[in-house]
Amino acid sequence: MLNTISKIPAQWKKTLFILTFSFGAFFSWPVFFISAEEIDANALVRAVDENLWATTKFIAGRLIIDNGRRVRTLKMDTWMQGVTRSYSVYKSPAREKGTKMLKRDSKLWMYTPRTDRKLLIAGHLLRQSMMGSDLSYEDMMEDKKLSKAYNAMVDRRETIEGKEYLVLHLIANDKTTTYQSRLGWVDPEKKIVRKEELYAKSGKLLKKVDYLDYRKIGNRLFPKKVIFRDTLKTNTQTTYVFDEIQFDVDIPKKYFSQSILKR
Amino acid sequence: MLIQFAIKNFLRQGLRSILNVLITAITIVTVIFNLSLLNGFQARATLNMVKTDVAGGHYRIAGFDLLSPTEWEDHTGLVPDSLKALPEDQKAETLILQGQIFPNNRLYPVQMRGVGPGQELLDLPLQGLKRFPEKITDQIPVVIGTKMAERTHLKQGDSVVLKWRDKFGAVDARDILVVDVVKLLNPRVDEGMVWLRLDHLQDMARREGEVSWVAVELFQGPVPDMEFHSVDDLMKDLLILLKNDRRNSIILWIILMFLAGISVFNTQILNVFKRQKEIGTLLALGVESKQVVRIFTWEGAVTAGISVVVAGLIAVPLFMWFQTVGLDVSHLEESTIPVRDAIFLEFNPFEIFYSITVVVALTILVAWLPVRKISHMDPTLALRGKAIT
Repeated sequence: MLNTISKIPAQWKKTLFILTFSFGAFFSWPVFFISAEEIDANALVRAVDENLWATTKFIAGRLIIDNGRRVRTLKMDTWMQGVTRSYSVYKSPAREKGTKMLKRDSKLWMYTPRTDRKLLIAGHLLRQSMMGSDLSYEDMMEDKKLSKAYNAMVDRRETIEGKEYLVLHLIANDKTTTYQSRLGWVDPEKKIVRKEELYAKSGKLLKKVDYLDYRKIGNRLFPKKVIFRDTLKTNTQTTYVFDEIQFDVDIPKKYFSQSILKR
Repeated sequence: MLIQFAIKNFLRQGLRSILNVLITAITIVTVIFNLSLLNGFQARATLNMVKTDVAGGHYRIAGFDLLSPTEWEDHTGLVPDSLKALPEDQKAETLILQGQIFPNNRLYPVQMRGVGPGQELLDLPLQGLKRFPEKITDQIPVVIGTKMAERTHLKQGDSVVLKWRDKFGAVDARDILVVDVVKLLNPRVDEGMVWLRLDHLQDMARREGEVSWVAVELFQGPVPDMEFHSVDDLMKDLLILLKNDRRNSIILWIILMFLAGISVFNTQILNVFKRQKEIGTLLALGVESKQVVRIFTWEGAVTAGISVVVAGLIAVPLFMWFQTVGLDVSHLEESTIPVRDAIFLEFNPFEIFYSITVVVALTILVAWLPVRKISHMDPTLALRGKAIT
């Protein structure tokens, strides 16, 4: 091969070099020459959604609530169907054991074995803190994929721990969305979110969310833990650790029925 | 003649009569003081509520319930033209929404209460808000009460983050500036409350022209989509509390009456026992036993009459002095009772007349009860002092 090349006249070599370079540059443009603004941010958000959301999934996890004075750990199992249905059972600590939460569309019911009653958490109750955490019931109820609720734009590139991320600016499509704007640090190659910042309508930063320790589960990348911080409070954070995740599992129909909300 | 006889006997008893009169007089003074103090308390509480919150009643958006804060945002609406047309000294448009402030980065739930800056109906010291323009600039001006300032450790000039939801559910947060810390007479409009300009709150919540209620000076007749709540409705809890207080005061009243009654009763029993020879002489001289009973009963009546006069002599200077100092009830700041300063006596002529009448009647009754046995007394035994042993 090298011999063949050496036999080519010098003026042809020059032409071949230009052609080869142009060809290579053409096919490798996504990596070397794309500017942040040229990336389809909405397509990237859709890809992120596709990675995170499955038809059904099961999560065995822990909610670690640190209010600055003490740390509480709640263990729970959650079954989710799409973005609109989920059912959680708390397994520990003893005082929360047996507490169940059922979310169906825009409604959320809570059952506590102590009172043996189910309570519809509706209206403005949804804005209260969930189990004393940095999450509101409404945060938990978020039933729209980011790609549906927001219009994304690439804001800038930023490096975190040696890895370059695209910072996407998401602006709500309609005025009913709780957080009217967000910033998301997205890995354009892996299609995963590294962190998010949630903003009030005025632009004041309200919450920070970190997605950490991604691991491969099937053909998806899923974080091992998510840390929520309410930026208006100090020394508080809530960590959701996903100990076990299964995608596309069969969920018994009764799990999304109100009849499950009993002892 | 019987009255003269009774007065002479009354005077002859000396210290015993003085004690009876004093106890009965003090009972009358205490009962009137107690009732008038309760009246004063009720009047002050009612006045403070009317001046700072209730006015002459509220036209509230149908379904609005102050005790259901999670539903406040579902019950707001536009002010009907009939109420909008009222002058500023006859109406106070009010919007109430939930919010959260973060003093020292700790969450503190608050009631955001917006009132028209130009309203003159309610006596609220919110002048600090007037100097700010209709459009919110970099910070939202608010006024808080002293109690709220104490709880949140906020002072005039401080800034803190306020978080709320707009009409469509979007969360919003901005810095508020405490332009004034004011003393509010009514703790119900102080603790947990952040006062804003109505136009600012409407703008923040994207509820242009909407209110929760309109306080009015006078009932304006039925208004569509609004429910009228009278002053009595709005102060129902306070009135029940005062009613219970009045009921409890009856216990004190009964104890005092009992003491006064016992005193007169005891004196009369002693009189009958010690004055047997006198009774026997009167009976032997041909005075009927009924007349003797009447003499003793008149003695009780004289005690009651003189007690009323003495009560007047005690009460007038005492009450005059009290009206200059009042009763300090600043400790009630910790409660939700709308009284913070001193309270004064509020006299009700009917109550005074009624109280005096009851005391006098009771005194006469207990003066008569022990002397009934005189009518069965044997004059010969009475003369020897052996009719009652």
